[in-house]
Amino acid sequence: MAAERELAMVTCTAPVNIAVIKYWGKRDNDLILPINSSLSVTLHQDQLKTTTTAAASRDFTEDRLWLNGEEADAGQPRLQTCLREVRRLARKRRGGSAEDTAPLSLSYKIHVATENNFPTAAGLASSAAGYACLVSALARLYGAEGELSEVARRGSGSACRSMLGGFVQWQRGERPDGRDSIAQQVAPETHWPELRVLVLVVSGEKKPVGSTVGMQSSVDTSPLLKHRAEVVVPERVALMVRHIRERDFEGFGQLTMRDSNQFHATCLDTFPPIFYLTDVSRRIITLAHRFNAHHGRTKVAYTFDAGPNAVVFTLADTVAEFVEVVRRSFPPATNGDQFVRGLPVGSASLPEELVVAVVTEPVPGAVRYILHTKPGPGPQLVDDPSQHLLGADGLPRRCA
Amino acid sequence: GKRDNDLILPINSSLSVTLHQDQLKTTTTAAASRDFTEDRLWLNGEEADAGQPRLQTCLREVRRLARKRRGGSAEDAAPLSLSYKIHVATENNFPTAAGLASSAAGYACLVSALARLYGAEGELSEVARRGSGSACRSMLGGFVQWQRGERPDGRDSIAQQVAPETHWPELRVLVLVVSGEKKPVGSTVGMQSSVDTSPLLKHRAEVVVPERVALMARHIRERDFEGFGQLTMRDSNQFHATCLDTFPPIFYLTDVSRRIIALAHRFNAHHGRTKVAYTFDAGPNAVVFTLADTVAEFVEVVRRSFPPATNGDQ
Repeated sequence: MAAERELAMVTCTAPVNIAVIKYWGKRDNDLILPINSSLSVTLHQDQLKTTTTAAASRDFTEDRLWLNGEEADAGQPRLQTCLREVRRLARKRRGGSAEDTAPLSLSYKIHVATENNFPTAAGLASSAAGYACLVSALARLYGAEGELSEVARRGSGSACRSMLGGFVQWQRGERPDGRDSIAQQVAPETHWPELRVLVLVVSGEKKPVGSTVGMQSSVDTSPLLKHRAEVVVPERVALMVRHIRERDFEGFGQLTMRDSNQFHATCLDTFPPIFYLTDVSRRIITLAHRFNAHHGRTKVAYTFDAGPNAVVFTLADTVAEFVEVVRRSFPPATNGDQFVRGLPVGSASLPEELVVAVVTEPVPGAVRYILHTKPGPGPQLVDDPSQHLLGADGLPRRCA
Repeated sequence: GKRDNDLILPINSSLSVTLHQDQLKTTTTAAASRDFTEDRLWLNGEEADAGQPRLQTCLREVRRLARKRRGGSAEDAAPLSLSYKIHVATENNFPTAAGLASSAAGYACLVSALARLYGAEGELSEVARRGSGSACRSMLGGFVQWQRGERPDGRDSIAQQVAPETHWPELRVLVLVVSGEKKPVGSTVGMQSSVDTSPLLKHRAEVVVPERVALMARHIRERDFEGFGQLTMRDSNQFHATCLDTFPPIFYLTDVSRRIIALAHRFNAHHGRTKVAYTFDAGPNAVVFTLADTVAEFVEVVRRSFPPATNGDQ
């Protein structure tokens, strides 16, 4: 019998995903089963990623968790659920033997540290990337196989979509036990090389209603949400899949904007109403429509989640021009911070007629910065041990 | 949303509260004379286009009703010839800049004046509807329902009184006139866009509103402010939700609107029941329903939340 390892440690990275057909509302709160399917684009980890190190050791006395260097509650139900589910899959793979003959005991306590490569204050910190990363790391740690997106879903619904790269669909599923409520890849991240994503990080807004509470309220009170989930979304998911497979930006873009608006419409139809769109959000929306109208076709497409940041999809040949339009419309404060980050953006001079038609009343400082990214792969294993967030002692290596 | 643009037939029924003319009213004078050489129209003292289709439609329809009453004789034996040109002047007792000027009051007034001028009888709300949809609701006092109707000719798309203005003596209305906002998308264009592009609007009209109209009529009859208020707020929000579901989206609610909404919910939550109920139309002003015993307190809350500029205006 192999000697049990004293300490096992795995580090993974996982991506953020942006839904283009939105998930909003559960039909089962415990299993996190949605009322409708959703579809997303996985963003590239070079610009946005969560890194998680999971370690298990005979010497650990309790489960511990660190988020961006600060200790947090490792006993939180969703984390424990993911841990339990990964262990269950690992046990299944090992043949369900009562005694663990494998190197790593499933009964050891774990230490988990996780970090984002983007500031928390940006409001991009997503539980999707976090749980996808946690599940990926734990699965690698325990040698678990099986439908990992189902496990990630138990942590945070949209986390299942961050288990895959490219264009991902989270099937609603029909089974009460949720075994068929999983993520599937619609197309890989290499499918649409010209597609680009601009995340417009807006300036410090008040903290909006959290997603979990918000969507429950919507399910409870909005008649329009019910209709959306039962009738509208199924058609839209099928249509969106087609637009993506055909690389039809006109169709993809229009449907993305419509679905973002419809999601926010159901929030407004909630009682009391939920407002995620701010004045700046509305200005960005009207800016996008003016830009598209000026060009006579859909060249940019916005989408907004349950927060103030705007995500704008476009094609590579439009990036420079639209970034300049945003810069003119929301002139950055001159504090030295880089206004455009991520993938390089070329310079663009705007024709005067475009400026006149599109840039109406500038609102200085409304957009803090723009992050330029693109579709990317699913979770990755980090081989380099120097990248572990925990030391050999199981404690965080870096300071808070 | 309309299901027929020419006849102005709606996709769903609607229900309204007629406001007191001591505070808000349109006054219209209609004159007909053999000596008039053309139709002329003055709005708040400024001459406007008397040939505009909706005005001419109302004129034609009132004359038709008058002709019918007179027995359809080819020759006018009545004192006032239906062929004389008319002069119409109309004024509001509230400033146009307030954004309250409503085509509803205007067309209801026009139709009422013309009907009286020509001695026309019949379903006048149907005529007013041809001028501006919601004008049919201004043909009656109190609590009014505009029945959607089923007939393609619109003969059954008319206003009916749910309860008279005396029915609910404690009900009060506070119109919060907000500061100069940008002119939003006009109703006629906006609602057409919504009909064309919003799946949620279709569902609202077909499924949600029919239930709500019945429920609202009951709340009114029972003077149930809790029910009336909640449903009023929900329907205002749902209307604006369908505007957001339009493509391109239509935003009538402003930042101030949202603050008023949040304020109302906090106020009600604080009191543990629905004491004020907001509703917003296709414009920036808020209309808040409440009962007489809450008016003073809520007005002071609004004053503290949105302190008026000290410029002397009341």
